[in-house]
Amino acid sequence: MAVGVFAYGVAFGLLAQEAQLSLAEAATMSALVYSGTAQLATVSALGASAGTATLAIALAVLLLNARYLLYSAAFRPWLGPLPAYQTYPMLFFMGDGSWVLSMQAHAKGERDGGFPFGASIAMFFPWLLGTLAGVVAAGLVANPALLGLDFMLVAFSAAMGLSMFKLQRSWSGVIAAAATALLVDRFAPGGWTIVAAGLVGGLVAYVRFKPPAPAPTP
Amino acid sequence: MNIRPDILTVLLAAGAVAFFCRAAGFFLMRFVPITPRLEAALRATPLAVMVGICAPVVARGNPTELAALGVVALATKLTGSDVLGALAGVVAVAILRALF
Repeated sequence: MAVGVFAYGVAFGLLAQEAQLSLAEAATMSALVYSGTAQLATVSALGASAGTATLAIALAVLLLNARYLLYSAAFRPWLGPLPAYQTYPMLFFMGDGSWVLSMQAHAKGERDGGFPFGASIAMFFPWLLGTLAGVVAAGLVANPALLGLDFMLVAFSAAMGLSMFKLQRSWSGVIAAAATALLVDRFAPGGWTIVAAGLVGGLVAYVRFKPPAPAPTP
Repeated sequence: MNIRPDILTVLLAAGAVAFFCRAAGFFLMRFVPITPRLEAALRATPLAVMVGICAPVVARGNPTELAALGVVALATKLTGSDVLGALAGVVAVAILRALF
């Protein structure tokens, strides 16, 4: 899994270089934000117009990382008894991979609070190293568009979207998000398209949610 | 090699938001149980965001990009890995642009 994280980090590094970010800027982003989807989605807007895009970028990160609300909520029963100065630093390093690993381990009986911490740190450094490698490699490439690197974000979104759709199969959410994206793209292309699509998709799931039938009381 | 101050501002804001998402769910579970309805909405958001990124590209209808999206779908299905699927799409774009 760490190899996949490294490759993903390289992809972000390539894209960051293309968006005119310096090596230090790309590394700082990977260390502070540490979210592949959020960074890939916002890095092009970041390089283009920094100051004005702050709000749109922060909102996009919020929506893309909304799943972490759920992830960290799921850690409460396990890590709740531990002191806050141990749990909150751990949560900073939490990612998709380490969360899944930790949840599997917990289901198998793992109760050591050090497990999620170790799993998270093990993903963080490949991500950082991958970013650095990507930026350096992109400096050697003359024209990123010719090599298809500008297509990286769309390709990753499509691939990850397909994997997620396999789990969720929510046609209504997908259609509503697509319609919203096309509409917003006409008037305010860029970060806002993504924010609007995410909000509408969440809203559709909220409205259409059907609670499971209550268990019969004995 | 240095960090521009305006970029650093955005990065600090984005980092703060990212950490907020990681910490808030854990923190809130002390007080508010997340209802299944809210959970369903949160779970649906990332997919909607991915759709929001891809839909304008599809609507633009560039043949190279459409073909590459097909490659992404096929490679993701065949390899079972979204990272490999995405990289295959990038390679497809590069090859198609070199040919046409």
